Amino acid sequence: MSIYYYLTIFPIESLIASMLEPSSFGSYLATGSKKGSYENNIFIEIEPECSEDFDWQYAKEKCKIKSNNEPKHSVYLSIYRTLEKVPINSMKSIFLTTKDGRTLELKKQDINKNNFNKKFYIYQELCPTRPLITTILNPIDYIKIMTDYNSKTFLPKIAFADIKTLNFHSEDTGSVGPLYDTNIEHLHNCINEVLFNKDKKFKIVERSNVDKFSYQIIEDGIYIGDNENIIFYKMPSKEDLRRNHYDWGRSAQIF
Amino acid sequence: MLGVVFLAVITSLTFAVGNFLAVKRKESGLPIMNEIAAAIEEGADAFIRHEYSVIFKIAIIIAVILGILVSWYTGVAFLIGAIMSSSAGWIGMRIAVIANVRVSNTARTTKSLGDTLKVAFQGGSVMGLSVGGFALLGLGLVYLIFGKILGQLEEINLTIITNWIGINFIPFTMSVSGYALGCSIIAMFDRVGGGIYTKAADMGADLVGKTEAHIPEDDPRNPATIADNVGDNVGDVAGLGADLLESYVGAIISSIVLASYIFYTSKSLENAITYNLTKKLLEYPILFSAIGILSCVIGIASLLIRKKIKNPHKALNFSTWVSEGCTIFFTLIFTIFYFKNENFGLLGFRMGFISPWVSSVIGILAGIIIGILAEYYTSYDYNPTKNISSSSNEGASLTITSGLALGMKSTILPVIVLGFSIILADFVGGLYGVAMAAIGMLSAVSATVSVDTYGPIADNAGGISEMSKLEPEVREITDHLDSVGNTTAAIGKGFAIGSAALAALSLFASYLYTQAGPGHTTGYSLIINLMDTFSLAGAIIGAALPYLFSGILIEAVAKAAKQMVQEVRRQFKENPKILSGEAKPDYKRCIKISSAGAINQMKIPAFISVLTPLVTGFIFGAKFVGGLLIGTTLSSIMLAIFTANSGGAWDNAKKYIEQGRFGGKGSLAHSAAVIGDTVGDPLKDTVGPSLDILIKIMAVISLIMVNIFGKYNLVGLLGK
Repeated sequence: MSIYYYLTIFPIESLIASMLEPSSFGSYLATGSKKGSYENNIFIEIEPECSEDFDWQYAKEKCKIKSNNEPKHSVYLSIYRTLEKVPINSMKSIFLTTKDGRTLELKKQDINKNNFNKKFYIYQELCPTRPLITTILNPIDYIKIMTDYNSKTFLPKIAFADIKTLNFHSEDTGSVGPLYDTNIEHLHNCINEVLFNKDKKFKIVERSNVDKFSYQIIEDGIYIGDNENIIFYKMPSKEDLRRNHYDWGRSAQIF
Repeated sequence: MLGVVFLAVITSLTFAVGNFLAVKRKESGLPIMNEIAAAIEEGADAFIRHEYSVIFKIAIIIAVILGILVSWYTGVAFLIGAIMSSSAGWIGMRIAVIANVRVSNTARTTKSLGDTLKVAFQGGSVMGLSVGGFALLGLGLVYLIFGKILGQLEEINLTIITNWIGINFIPFTMSVSGYALGCSIIAMFDRVGGGIYTKAADMGADLVGKTEAHIPEDDPRNPATIADNVGDNVGDVAGLGADLLESYVGAIISSIVLASYIFYTSKSLENAITYNLTKKLLEYPILFSAIGILSCVIGIASLLIRKKIKNPHKALNFSTWVSEGCTIFFTLIFTIFYFKNENFGLLGFRMGFISPWVSSVIGILAGIIIGILAEYYTSYDYNPTKNISSSSNEGASLTITSGLALGMKSTILPVIVLGFSIILADFVGGLYGVAMAAIGMLSAVSATVSVDTYGPIADNAGGISEMSKLEPEVREITDHLDSVGNTTAAIGKGFAIGSAALAALSLFASYLYTQAGPGHTTGYSLIINLMDTFSLAGAIIGAALPYLFSGILIEAVAKAAKQMVQEVRRQFKENPKILSGEAKPDYKRCIKISSAGAINQMKIPAFISVLTPLVTGFIFGAKFVGGLLIGTTLSSIMLAIFTANSGGAWDNAKKYIEQGRFGGKGSLAHSAAVIGDTVGDPLKDTVGPSLDILIKIMAVISLIMVNIFGKYNLVGLLGK
C-alpha cells in the first residue's frame, strides 16, 4: 500500500505519514478512532521526501499493515514549526474535512487579481497562528508583508482564508456559521481603523479564532505563501458544490 | 338514510383503494432506495403489530366491562369503534410506507415538484379517505345493527331504561357512545404510543447525530435515522389518522346523544319534539357527514387531476377549499329538502329549518379562522415566528422564553373564535347547533387528513432520498414538499383542537341530560353550579389534570429519548467505522428502543384519561365529575393550543434560520433554535394532539358511567 504524507494546517500544524488515502484520512482525523473528536480539519498532501527536515525513513518503517489487516492510520513526523519547513512547490491538493468526516479536495489554481478590488478584507489565518484579521491589503500584499523578514510580525510561511463580509444590518446573512455571532461592534471598529487610519495596514480582531471558523464563511479560497511563492486553492461556487459535492456541502452546513 | 351513508362509504373507500393501487403500481426506484424503504416498513409494521396486540387486549377487557356494567351492545359497539379506528390507522401506516419510496422515486425520475406532490398527496388521500370512510362505516353499522335491526331507534325505545344494576340510559345513546369510546381509546394509544416513539427517535437522532456528531439530517450513518423515519409513519400518520377519526366520530355522536336526550326530556312539555323530527335530527349529522365525505372525494380529485402544480401549498389549500365549498353547497340543498316544513319550536332554531346548516357553517368558518391563526403563529412568513428566530441570536434561553410567550399569547384569538362560534351556533341552533358546529368544523376531515398525511410521507421520501444519496435536485424537491407539510400539520391541529372543544361542550350537555331517570321528562336533572364545593373542587382538579397528563407524556418521551441518545453514542464510540461510512449502524437496536419505550410508557396516560372520571365519580359523585369535565376541557384547550403553536413556531423558527438568516446553519442562533425545536418536539407532536383525545375520552366515559357513579358513590353513601 502507498504511503501518503499530509501536512495538517488546521486546527494543529503537523506532518503525518499515513496509509489512508485523503478522504479516509480526513474522516479519521475528524472523528478519530474511538475518541469522537468532531473537528474541522484542513490538510495538504505533499510530495514525499520534499525536505531534509523530516525523518522519511522512520515513516516508511512505521507505516505497515497492522495485525488486524488494517492500514496504519498515522505516524507523526513533526508537530512544531512544520509548515515553514515544507516547500511550497511540494504541496499538492488541499483537503477540507468537516466535523463529521466528509472531505473536499481543492486543487491549486491561478490567482485572479481582478478580484482584488475590495476596500477591506477579512482573513482567517489558518497556520501557523490562527487570528482573525481585518486589512486593506489584498491577499498577495498581505502575504508579502507577513513574510517580510524585516517585519516585527514575521512568519516564514502563512496559510489563510479570505472571509465573506456581510451586510451587518440585514437578517439575510446566508449560512455563514458562528463567525459574526458576537462582538460585531469590535469588528466594525477594527474595519474602521484599517479603513481610516493610514498607518494601520491590518488589525487583529480575535487572537485565536479556531472555534468560530467554518467552511461556510470562506469567500474565494485559501492562500499559502512565503516571500517567494504563493499558491491558491479556490473554493468552489455554491452551484458547483450543489452539483458535484452536495454531501460535503450539507455536512459543511452550506446547504 | 343508510343508502346515502353506504354510498359515501363505498365511494370514499373505493377511491382510497384506487389511490392505494395507483401509488403501489408506481416504480419504487433503485435497490438502495428499496432497501431503506424496506427497513422503515419492517420497523413500522413491527411496532404497529406490537402496539395493537397490547391495545386489543386492553380493548377487549374494557369491552367486557362495558358489556357487563352497561349493556352488551355498548361493549360490541366499543369493539366496532376500536376495529374501525385501528383499521384506518393501520391502512394509513401501510400506504405511507409504500408511498414514501415512490414519492422519492417520482422526484428522481421526473424532477417535477408537481408530479411528486401528486404522488405524496395520493398516498395521503388513502389515509384521509379511510378515516372518513371507516368512521362512517362504523356509524352506519351501529345505526343498522342497533338502530334498525335491534330497533333502538324506534319511538318506543328512544326512552330511558334501567339496566340490571340500576343504571338509566337511552339504549341507542349507549351504542353510539360505546362506538365513540372504542375509537377514542385506540386513538389515545395510537397518539400517545406513536407520539412517544416518533419524538424519542427524532430527539435521539438530533441530539447525538446533529448536535454532537454534526451529521446532517437523515444521514445513513446516524443509527437513529431509520427509527426517526419509522416514527413519522407510526406517530404522524397512524396516530394522526386515529386521532382525527376519533374527533370526527366524537363530533357526530355528541349531536346524536344530545338529540336523543332532548327528545326524551321534552316529552311532557307542551310543545314536545315529535318522533319524526327527532329521527331526522338523529340522522342529519350522519347524512351531513356523508355529504362531507363525498365533497372531499371531489376536493381530493380536484388536486389529482390537475396537470400543472407550481405552488404545493396553494394546491393543497385549493383541495381543502373545494371540499369545504362543496360541503357547504351540497349540505345547503340537502338541508332545504330534508328539514323543510318541520316545526322546530322547542329546539330554539332561530333561523328555522336552515339553522343546523347555518350552525355547521359557523363551525366550518371557525375552523378556517382557527387554521389561519395557527398558520399565522407558526409560519415563518409572519412576525411571531420570525421574532423567535431573531431572539435566537441572544441564545437558547431567549429562544425558549420567546416561544413560550408566543404559545401563551396565541391561545387568546382561537379561544375568542371558539367562544363566539359557540355563542353564535347556540343562538342559531341551540345546543344542537353547537354540536353541528363541531361536525361542520370536521366535515372536510378526509381532505384535511389527506393534506396532513402528505407531510410525513414527503418527510419520509426526503429521508430516503438523502440516505440513498440521490441527486441534489431530488432532495430539494422532497425537502420543499416536507417544509410545506410542516405548516399544513399546524393547521390540521387547529381543526382538531377546535372541534374537540365544541364536541366536548355538547357531550357535556348530554352528560347533564343523562342524569334523568325513567319518567323524568322535563330537561336537565343535574345542574352544575360552580358555587357547589364538589363541582368547584372537581373543576380545579380537572384543570390540573391536563398538566399532569402532559408532564407524564413529556417525561415518557424524555426517558425513551435518553435511552436513544445513549445507544447512538455507544454505537459511535464502539464502532468508529460507522462515522467513516465503512460500517452500517445497528438501526434495529434503535427501533427496538423507541418501540419498547412507546409500548411501556403509553399505558399510564391512557389509564389516567379512562380512570380519573371513574375513580373520582365513585368517590365524589356526578357533580364533582361535572366540574372535573369543565376544568379538564378548559385547561386542555389552552394547553393544546399553546403546545401546538409553541412547538410549531420553534420548529419553523429553526427552519427560517436554516434558510440563511441570522448566520444560518452552524451559527449561535441556529444552535439556540435547534434547542428550541427539541423542546417543542414532544409538545407539538405528543402532548398537544393527545389532549383533545383526553377531553373526549373523559367526556364519553363520564357520559356512559354517570348513572352508575351518580347512584353509587362514597360521598353519597356516607351522606346517607
